[in-house]
Amino acid sequence: MTRHQALHHGVQWMRHGLRLAVIVLMVGIAYLSLYGHYRSARAMDDLTDMTGVQGTALRAVDSLLGDVENPQPILDGFKGTVWSMRVFGFDVTDPLAGAEPIAASRAIHLPLVWSVSVPILMTVILGRVFCSWVCPAGLLFELCDKLRRLLRFAEIQPGEVKFSYRNKYVFLVVGLVIAFVLGVPFFSRIYPPAVTGRLIHALVFPPAPIAGSIVILLVIVFFEVAVSPRWWCRTMCPGGALYGVLGWKRVVRVRLEASRCTGCRDCEPVCPLGLYPVRDSAGIECDNCGRCLPSCPDDALLYSVGLPGRKARHHVKKTTENARHGSSSIAAILLFLVGLGAVLVPVRPAYAHHILGLPHYSYKDNYPQVPTLEYPATSGPYEILMTCYPGIPIPGEAANIAFYIKDKVADQPYDGPPVSVRVLQTATFGQNQEIVPATEISAFDNLYKLSAVFDTDGEYIVELSVQVEGRTEVIPFRMIAGDPSATPSILAAIGGGMIVFLVAVRAVKIKRERHRLHSVAHGDAHLEPSV
Amino acid sequence: MDTERRQFFRNATATAVTTVVGAGVSLGLWPTGSDQNDGSDAAHAGSVDSSDGTIPLRPPGALAEDEFLARCIRCLRCVESCPNQAIVPLEVGSGNRGGGGSGGGQSVRDATPVIQARRQACMLCAGIEGDTLKCGQACPSGALQVIRKDRDSIKSNVMMGTAVIDEALCYSYNNWSCGACYRACPFGGEAMTLGLWERPTVHPEACIGCGLCERACIRYPQAIRVRTGGGGG
Repeated sequence: MTRHQALHHGVQWMRHGLRLAVIVLMVGIAYLSLYGHYRSARAMDDLTDMTGVQGTALRAVDSLLGDVENPQPILDGFKGTVWSMRVFGFDVTDPLAGAEPIAASRAIHLPLVWSVSVPILMTVILGRVFCSWVCPAGLLFELCDKLRRLLRFAEIQPGEVKFSYRNKYVFLVVGLVIAFVLGVPFFSRIYPPAVTGRLIHALVFPPAPIAGSIVILLVIVFFEVAVSPRWWCRTMCPGGALYGVLGWKRVVRVRLEASRCTGCRDCEPVCPLGLYPVRDSAGIECDNCGRCLPSCPDDALLYSVGLPGRKARHHVKKTTENARHGSSSIAAILLFLVGLGAVLVPVRPAYAHHILGLPHYSYKDNYPQVPTLEYPATSGPYEILMTCYPGIPIPGEAANIAFYIKDKVADQPYDGPPVSVRVLQTATFGQNQEIVPATEISAFDNLYKLSAVFDTDGEYIVELSVQVEGRTEVIPFRMIAGDPSATPSILAAIGGGMIVFLVAVRAVKIKRERHRLHSVAHGDAHLEPSV
Repeated sequence: MDTERRQFFRNATATAVTTVVGAGVSLGLWPTGSDQNDGSDAAHAGSVDSSDGTIPLRPPGALAEDEFLARCIRCLRCVESCPNQAIVPLEVGSGNRGGGGSGGGQSVRDATPVIQARRQACMLCAGIEGDTLKCGQACPSGALQVIRKDRDSIKSNVMMGTAVIDEALCYSYNNWSCGACYRACPFGGEAMTLGLWERPTVHPEACIGCGLCERACIRYPQAIRVRTGGGGG
């Protein structure tokens, strides 16, 4: 291994390190925010006996901040994810996140423009480095590459479908046009770094929804593993497209020293974006990840610093010694770090004291909360609201169901004959089972109340029969008790489905091959001979 | 050369079509099934078309709903910043996150910040250091405006909604006496007054819609709710 290669292996470790650091930063910010909630609620005593990751992380934050006299500015100074982040009180926002609200709202919010300026500046100088050095979703997709290698090892050939790299520019423009026409951002909801950020947030703040984020990421992961390598980054990512355009004339780039290149093409399979570095390293697609640098046995690829327009080749001629390559690359790395440092310049916002009224705190999970789950329905002029305490009944324990029926037109509660309620347990196969037979209920303080015991986890139907304009209306309310479908089972189903799909594809391929060999052996003229 | 160009156009068209269809479905231009309100589906939280309930309660300082949706980048910074954990990301279709329904027209609100007053209402950052409301301070895109934390500024700039009392449910109007909502109101005496037997009256012109009354109501289902008008603020 030459010195050049060793150096750039080191750079690759730096790149992985930075990416992991970004994820650690995002998780850290989320925990810092959660810690802030505990502080605001004066619930610091709770941290001592809190178990699990949550407890450990929050106690870690506490050991860092516990001695700070006034941690509020620190807590306020760190917010968000790579989609839009506040670090040391300084806002940094993804250029795509900056472009979309402008397209959707047709208005420019100056603080947003300031917060995208640093990433834009960084991209203009350093190129599309967000993709390769920062993007947390990119890390996930790089893991997909590893998974593909594993599949190949297991004799399963993953798909190699090629899509045009230009798709992402079309996607970017179309997405922005959609945002402009509909007045609603589009990429904010599907852009993988934003989604990853929300996922991390949701994992730290447990009641937050995660299903949507996981589905989006899994679709891409599935596509990358089974159909097309690095499909998203290479051909679809609108953020990558935007960064690519911004960093087209970048100052720092991977440059080929033509005199050293022997044309061995060792660098080609290494490129995560599927480029041929000898030809494409100066182009719009390269994201300056530098993976190709240590792969070159002749040290012909290196980072270079040069103003746009300046012919890189002349610049090279002067630096033919190994040491000079090294220094040029080091300069590139330094420039990168300076760019990063510029992002992290500590800016301290001004704060003042102001206390207003008496706060009403009580956010602990075990604080006796009224459930917010409501089951609304309408029938004729009536608006019917079913509520249950607890919101999601605990199997085996009594749950109190209440109906509130209101005539929306007359603004009066229902005062017809008594209503009738029965409860059914739904069965996947066969008849639903009646667990509470039809019961007549009269109003008590305008509510119709029923106590029921749901024996097992599962789906139930609560059927309300009520007199609406002279006829009996039966209104079913679907509700669940306990926890019939947990997220792990969904994930297992998706994972299982993926494996089945891959195995099926493989089986079909092998069968086809066998069939073809068979045909050739029998001398079918109309089939192409096998290799 | 020509094949390449044709290839490009084919690719471009495919991408464009996929995007438009995907965006259309995900933005809810087309009904996705759960939108139809037949009897069998009535139990789904989102299947009810209640025109006044479809706009969820937004954090203080939010722009008018359309403008808010255009500006919000779904970064969840306001969620992280809310000292009271009142702001949560809307989970479309769950029925458990601030009145959002499922299906047509609702998925544009996915992952936008809402307040479920019944779970945790906005306490206007009371007792928290800082001279502005935290959510507006955290918002990078101006979807939530920065609001100074003094009575006058809050009263004139925050218009999240208006509390509406259902007298058929309210204990004080039904031979009991309660007054919990009045005691929770940060603008007691202005936004809400108490009459005989602690019967509350909301004064819409002074009510900012923080939801503390809805949170405090001891009736279940609650007898007082914040109605949003989509006016913003």
